[in-house]
Amino acid sequence: MSFLKIPWRAYWQLLRRYLRPQSGAAFFMSALLLASIALQLVGPQVVRAFIDAARAGAGERDLIAKALIFIGVAALQQVMNVLAAYWGARVAWTATNALRADLTEHLVKLDLGFHKARTPGELIERVDGDVNALAEFFSSFVVQLVGSALLLAGVLAIVFREDVRLGLVLSGFTLLAVAVLGWVRRFATPLWAEDRQRSAAYYGYLGEAITAAEDLRSSGAVPYAMRRLFEHLRGWMPVRRRAEARRSVVWMAAVAVFACGDAIAYGLGGGLYRIKAISLGTVYMIVAYVALLAEPIETIRTQMQNLQRADASIGRVRELMEARSSLEDGTESLPSGALPVEFRTVSFGYDDGPPESPQASPGGPQEPRVHGSHGSYDSRESRESQEPQEPQEPYELENLSFTLEPGCTLGLLGRTGSGKTTIARLLFRMYDPQQGEIRLGGVNLRHARIESIRTRVGLVTQDVQILEASLRDNITFFDPDIPDGRVIAAIEALGLKSWFDRLPGGLDTPVSQAGLSAGEAQCVALTRVFMRDPGLIILDEASSRLDPATEALLERALDKLLLGRTAIIIAHRLSTVERADDILIIRERGWVLEHGSREKLAADANSTFCRLQRAGMEAMLG
Amino acid sequence: MSGFRGKSRNTTQGEASPDRSMPSTAYFIWRLIAYQPVLYTINSLFWILFHSWPLVLGLLARAFFDMLEGRAPAGLNLPTIVALVVAAGLVKAGIIFGGAVSGVPLAFRIQGLLQRNLLERILERPGARAVPGSVGEAISTLRDDVEATYEIIGWAYDTTAALFFAVGAMAVLLWVNARITLMVFIPIAIVIVLANSVRARLERLREKSREATARVTGAIGEIFNAAQAIQVAGAEKQVVVHLRRLGDERRRAMLRDQLQSLWLDAVFSNTASLGTGLTLLVAAAQMRTGEFTVGDFALFATYLMQMSYFTRFLGYLINTYQKSRVAFRRMVDLLQGAPAQSLVAPHPVHLSGKLHTLLPLVKKESDRLKYFEVAGLSFRHAGSGAGTGSGFGIENISFKVERGSFTVITGRIGSGKTTLLRAMLGLLEPQAGEVRWNGQRLGRHENSGGLLLPPKVAYTPQVPALLSGTLRENILLGLPDEPEKLERAVHGAVLERDLEGFPEGLETVIGTRGLKLSGGQIQRAAAARAFVREPDLLILDDLSSALDQDTERLLWERILARDAACVAVSHSRAALMKADQILVLENGRITGRGKLEELLAANAEMRRLWEQD
Repeated sequence: MSFLKIPWRAYWQLLRRYLRPQSGAAFFMSALLLASIALQLVGPQVVRAFIDAARAGAGERDLIAKALIFIGVAALQQVMNVLAAYWGARVAWTATNALRADLTEHLVKLDLGFHKARTPGELIERVDGDVNALAEFFSSFVVQLVGSALLLAGVLAIVFREDVRLGLVLSGFTLLAVAVLGWVRRFATPLWAEDRQRSAAYYGYLGEAITAAEDLRSSGAVPYAMRRLFEHLRGWMPVRRRAEARRSVVWMAAVAVFACGDAIAYGLGGGLYRIKAISLGTVYMIVAYVALLAEPIETIRTQMQNLQRADASIGRVRELMEARSSLEDGTESLPSGALPVEFRTVSFGYDDGPPESPQASPGGPQEPRVHGSHGSYDSRESRESQEPQEPQEPYELENLSFTLEPGCTLGLLGRTGSGKTTIARLLFRMYDPQQGEIRLGGVNLRHARIESIRTRVGLVTQDVQILEASLRDNITFFDPDIPDGRVIAAIEALGLKSWFDRLPGGLDTPVSQAGLSAGEAQCVALTRVFMRDPGLIILDEASSRLDPATEALLERALDKLLLGRTAIIIAHRLSTVERADDILIIRERGWVLEHGSREKLAADANSTFCRLQRAGMEAMLG
Repeated sequence: MSGFRGKSRNTTQGEASPDRSMPSTAYFIWRLIAYQPVLYTINSLFWILFHSWPLVLGLLARAFFDMLEGRAPAGLNLPTIVALVVAAGLVKAGIIFGGAVSGVPLAFRIQGLLQRNLLERILERPGARAVPGSVGEAISTLRDDVEATYEIIGWAYDTTAALFFAVGAMAVLLWVNARITLMVFIPIAIVIVLANSVRARLERLREKSREATARVTGAIGEIFNAAQAIQVAGAEKQVVVHLRRLGDERRRAMLRDQLQSLWLDAVFSNTASLGTGLTLLVAAAQMRTGEFTVGDFALFATYLMQMSYFTRFLGYLINTYQKSRVAFRRMVDLLQGAPAQSLVAPHPVHLSGKLHTLLPLVKKESDRLKYFEVAGLSFRHAGSGAGTGSGFGIENISFKVERGSFTVITGRIGSGKTTLLRAMLGLLEPQAGEVRWNGQRLGRHENSGGLLLPPKVAYTPQVPALLSGTLRENILLGLPDEPEKLERAVHGAVLERDLEGFPEGLETVIGTRGLKLSGGQIQRAAAARAFVREPDLLILDDLSSALDQDTERLLWERILARDAACVAVSHSRAALMKADQILVLENGRITGRGKLEELLAANAEMRRLWEQD
């Protein structure tokens, strides 16, 4: 029977995990529901007694007493019902809140490849939309399904006691009804999954279009953006229509089944009354009970519908829960103090994700792979010439080795696409290299705890992500234990006091990605790093977006920050690496062009670094 | 702790001026119905029929019991009644199918219209910030609030159906037994009226729970938006603690809301039992004498059951009405100042038929640039720049750009460079001053979108945003695909070598489901997007900031080789040296202008900016 094909195990695991912490509340809710069910069974009995008594010519007082009992029972049942529903909602919200938070926590820890493959809008749809669909499931599914089953059993038991033939027929009917509805249910699930996918894609697009509003508007591309909205709706509507049609088939089946139930009650009740097997009051009671049967079957049906939604949602939530970071957490902690850095024959490519998954593989390449040019830095001719494309190399970095002493600063130079950013990412263990090893403070990063890396390594990325929140929250990430004094001290140490003082609300000033200039965002990013005590600082083009005047302010702050720490500064501009002790120049795929102390390289007229400096001078002069 | 900036800011504004500018919910509903009268009528007929169907079932029940007691009208026997019951069920099933399937195109048209109107407004709104809150919050309105209004469009015919049934049922019952009908329904009516008066309080609770929900949605969006920053800061635990806190607030708000609704629902659904009980009480004497038959009682019980369903339904209708009021208000908030009527202004949503073709750019003679002037342009951020952190705006900016010339705007953080570009373009509404094209004053953008648009002008923002899709789509954004033009634009933006490395060249899908471009590649893709529009004036905001020196130099060379004037915000030496004029911006004012050598000699700020690089 298809009813059994529902992934009960998956549901059960989810239930057990999120209901166990509130088992007390769940039991209380169940007890209330049971009481409410029992009271529901009493009503038709009272009416039968009334009808039979009235037809037998009983006293008016007796009839009035029966009518009052009926009203009292009904009222009490409602009270039980409300309390049960309230506790059910309570349990559901507690459970889904926990699930939402767990899911968020799980996802936010996943590697960046995962996040690059999905829009935030899509993840909202998953974490909020899908989990909301599950809320129904938690709040009512189990209790209502069990409650409905009990109500069904109760009704059937009473009918059996009344007349075995009737009991048999109605039991058969009930089984058939549940089976038919369960079978029909199988219809819709895949279509609703597709519907939700369409929905996620559509709202993902709307989010992107809103983010790109300035771009679209200034490009005169508003009609284009509107057209894409229509295209999304067009693609989605037939899917929804099919899904809705199938869903209504489930409903239609239910209506037809109930009509058959009524017909059975009328036919059998009428027949048994004709042969004087039962009283007229009993006929009424049977009709009422069959109507009562409709409710639990109806409940089972709606719960099945919720299940259809929950089915699809649970599938996606589980899929997300099962998304594993491609990184395996280690056990070792990085030592305190300035960290020495060592790359040992490291090879790495972004493209080694599972090839069958189109989302996973392109998560990587941040920088273009530049092929066909073997020109060194200053041979402009070969840069311009278009050589035929070489077969694609799998690696972004190939066989890269270098060391950096603790407390020293390394200036990392190379053209866009040479793998500088990749080096930073590897050091921060956003990815693991395919070959070779990276040691930080003597610890192989593969064996290091990720949390330890994240606390001991400070990274300022090219694009600073700003939260739509107060400045304080942007620096502390909602940690209420960090006092304002510490935050302000860090801002002052960075020499950003003058900027900070201009903010109308101080630390409470709401900031946003769009509202902050790129330079200001960099200030926030530096403050974030400043707040911690990393042993290695990686500045990935940190200063490239700052205007020179602000850069000067930050330079001084950096002096303070870098004191007693190891640092790697990635920059395209020579001026940014003037504070470096060592210089590393790389070409495509991380091939080392030059590595040595800055002073020595600067003094050597034949070094690339020296030539670069001269070329820079030339550029300035003419 | 302020936490994520929620909707609260907008709501307080909304409460301060309670809906004075906002039309009634009925107005919106009416306009939406009037938008699709035919589909609406078809759909409503199905549901009115559906809701009225129990009238038939009650009469069948009565006929059944009357027949058993030997009082049935002639021709009705047990098999006939059983057959009729089955037939009634099948017809009802058919009605359901019709209602469900005819509802989908209606829903898509109405939701599509609202979403279309909102997006259009968001895209045409002046101002760098397209939406008042986070993008996540805007999406929550575009999705949840819009979907809530679909419920409301069924509202009118559901109400009609309820009335239809109520009137029909009362007529039947009065005909069967007027005395008992009145004695049962008057007390029930009183209970319903009393319970309904409590409803007013519900809206406040609902608003609170909706706000709490928006905060949770917003927070989730922010967390995933900044996943990398959170990982870099090792702050995963803290942000989740924050989310749990918001979730808890939401749970409390939701439960308060739900408890109220539950009690009301209980009162309403109890009216059936109460009514049945009352019928038993009142009819006791007449049932003994057989004046009031078991069939009559069955009829009363059936209709009472349905009535109670409708009173509960009435509660739902009122809830929906109130909820949709909140939803409409949120949507009007998202319109940010556009007349509320524009939310429901009829426009096609193109669900079938041919999609409109996008017009190619046609350059008229008047679009040819001879000279371009900015005169006395001033812009101050509203609320003293609160939240933007980007300085004080700009003050009385004037300059002139000749055909084919190169102007560089430079200055430190917060000096107003980006603000100047945006005000010039009409992306911000300047408080004073004007912009002239060949001496012709350009009118303030009314509804027409940007003041300066292609083919006159093209603009590359400092942090450009691309859409998920192919690179070609992102560069063209709907322009006709002319390979030569496209190739020129790609070359001009120094993107051709990147393209070679992409798996499918221009057809490479970028964005969330495809290749993620680096910051420099995004900037250059945006530059290609501007170039392909072949404007006479290029406006570039810090275009080269994420590029290495070689690429940058090449980029400037190619830009200047174009037959276009260029105004660029930059502090790159390569750009400054090539500039025909440099404008030095300090605190929103021009403090120096001229060629590099002149400024280096005369302007201290220029020297400071120059020496740092």
